[in-house]
Amino acid sequence: MRYLFGNGAARLAPYLLITPGLLLYLLFALGPSLATVVFSFTDASGLPRLPIHWIGFDNYKEFLTLGAAARENLDALVRTLIFCVSVTVIQFSIGLFVAVLLNQGLRGTKFFRTLFFFPVILGVTIQGLMWTLFLYPIGGPLATVLDWFGLQSEFLGGQPREAFIWVMVVQIWANMGITMVIFLAGLQTIPDEVYEAARIDGAGRGQLFRRITWPLLTPSVNTNLVLTIIGSLQAWQLFYVLISYRPGTQVLGYVVYATAFGQTSGSTAGTTFRQGYGAAAGVVLFLIVLAIGITTQYLLRRREARLLG
Amino acid sequence: MTALARTAPVTRRRFSWARLAAYAILIALTVVYLAPMAMLVITSFKTLPEFTRDAISMPKSFSIDNFIEAWNKANFARYLVNTVLYTAVSTAIFVITGTFLSIAIARRFVRGSGFLFTMFLIALFLPPALIPQFQLILRLGLYNNPIGYVMLFLVNPIGIVILVNYIRTIPTELDEAAAIEGCSYFRFVIQIVIPLIKPAIATVAVLHAIGVWNELILATIYLTKADYYPITRGLIVFNGIYGNNWPVLAAAVLMIAVPIAAFFVLMQRYIIGGVTAGAVKG
Repeated sequence: MRYLFGNGAARLAPYLLITPGLLLYLLFALGPSLATVVFSFTDASGLPRLPIHWIGFDNYKEFLTLGAAARENLDALVRTLIFCVSVTVIQFSIGLFVAVLLNQGLRGTKFFRTLFFFPVILGVTIQGLMWTLFLYPIGGPLATVLDWFGLQSEFLGGQPREAFIWVMVVQIWANMGITMVIFLAGLQTIPDEVYEAARIDGAGRGQLFRRITWPLLTPSVNTNLVLTIIGSLQAWQLFYVLISYRPGTQVLGYVVYATAFGQTSGSTAGTTFRQGYGAAAGVVLFLIVLAIGITTQYLLRRREARLLG
Repeated sequence: MTALARTAPVTRRRFSWARLAAYAILIALTVVYLAPMAMLVITSFKTLPEFTRDAISMPKSFSIDNFIEAWNKANFARYLVNTVLYTAVSTAIFVITGTFLSIAIARRFVRGSGFLFTMFLIALFLPPALIPQFQLILRLGLYNNPIGYVMLFLVNPIGIVILVNYIRTIPTELDEAAAIEGCSYFRFVIQIVIPLIKPAIATVAVLHAIGVWNELILATIYLTKADYYPITRGLIVFNGIYGNNWPVLAAAVLMIAVPIAAFFVLMQRYIIGGVTAGAVKG
């Protein structure tokens, strides 16, 4: 658009004002993000004075093909996909269902909405510790309740598969609120008159949903799917808080962190920081996110065009 | 966002099985959501023997000993001050620089505005900046340094997208009117645009602040000195030491959760508004 606030030097004012923000973005976000690809071809470590060498595709070869570690990496990759699909399907379904319920003008709607969204802002630390207590295997709250029914579980301390499922439960518990409020915002945009008209034509509840709510909700459906898929592919922080780096439970995001910054939390002593290798793992994860993200977008666009023409 | 509770399909006031079923489901879900939180509160008032005997019974007395013990055993006051500082400084810098950036991009006052906007839009899909960022901070000599830590939180692409989209809804006639009055660009931004986009700025600030406040991983990577710990890292370390004394640990977690809950109740409109606004991109 035309610049209205003077000529000559005055023309530079907006450039001056965007400079700090732009520099910060390039320096601390976009630059490092793209540099991940460059680092993935090097043997960079986490130590300040060590020289960095260009080693071509060695990191990738090692990550994908070398012995037991590579097999673990592939397991982690499969686990990441399982985590992503399960979390997305369940979180999406519950979020949609709850949003529809909360859009019926029931009493207490505000309370329910607030409660279901609340965990989102607690952050992984509090979410994780809260559930660690709740799932404490030796006489903890849920263990006590199960005991009434003669059931037992080791929860997060149990077999890798069991621990993994509980992390998924917490992940969904923690983030369902986001899906829900996005759907609620979408439902608000559907005018009541549409429902009225359909009901006069004799449409039942199921038909109302299938013929009106579901197609008109397409934008929120797309947003939620993309956000949840990408989010769950990259999620690993609850694993860190709930069960830490346990064999048989890691997802790719955690592998990236653990190889680049040492498996134990925070202590720099004695651990090797394989940052080049970690970057390669990060790029593999990125390519998966990209491939799945683009495919999802493509399919959703096609569906949208078909539904809303 | 305020009018979420609108009347819709189900007819009101008359008994209906559908409504009963809806309540049954919502209440069941409420139990799932409330149970872990309730157990945290109950446990925080118990003694350790009480907890071991029966984890879910109510505490015998509501003594605050656990809270005092937790407070004394770890330097939570220090951690809280650190978190507040990190959050306030980084949010202030991001919001100021981000607002200037967003106004110019939304109004196409700089060349390549469209390209710049795309650059922020695609950030969600890019590889994590984690490793090169670490190398950068390390080589700047800012590892284990509060300044280096704050530098990690000075940008937030989703915040920029929210701001730009909001600014675009303001009619451009406003710009022309201001220009005719002979207003300078700087005055236009400060005195005219910023007051108009305050709700969006508040939303973005709140979202960004929550992210910094809750950050655990970056704190774990960058801050190894206990004096610099934010509250999240402090809690995890405390958990490592007192992991089996659940009443004291629960008291510590609760002390940190309550201020967040209060903040949420006050700011709910902005938080939920931000989540849904950030989502509207497709």
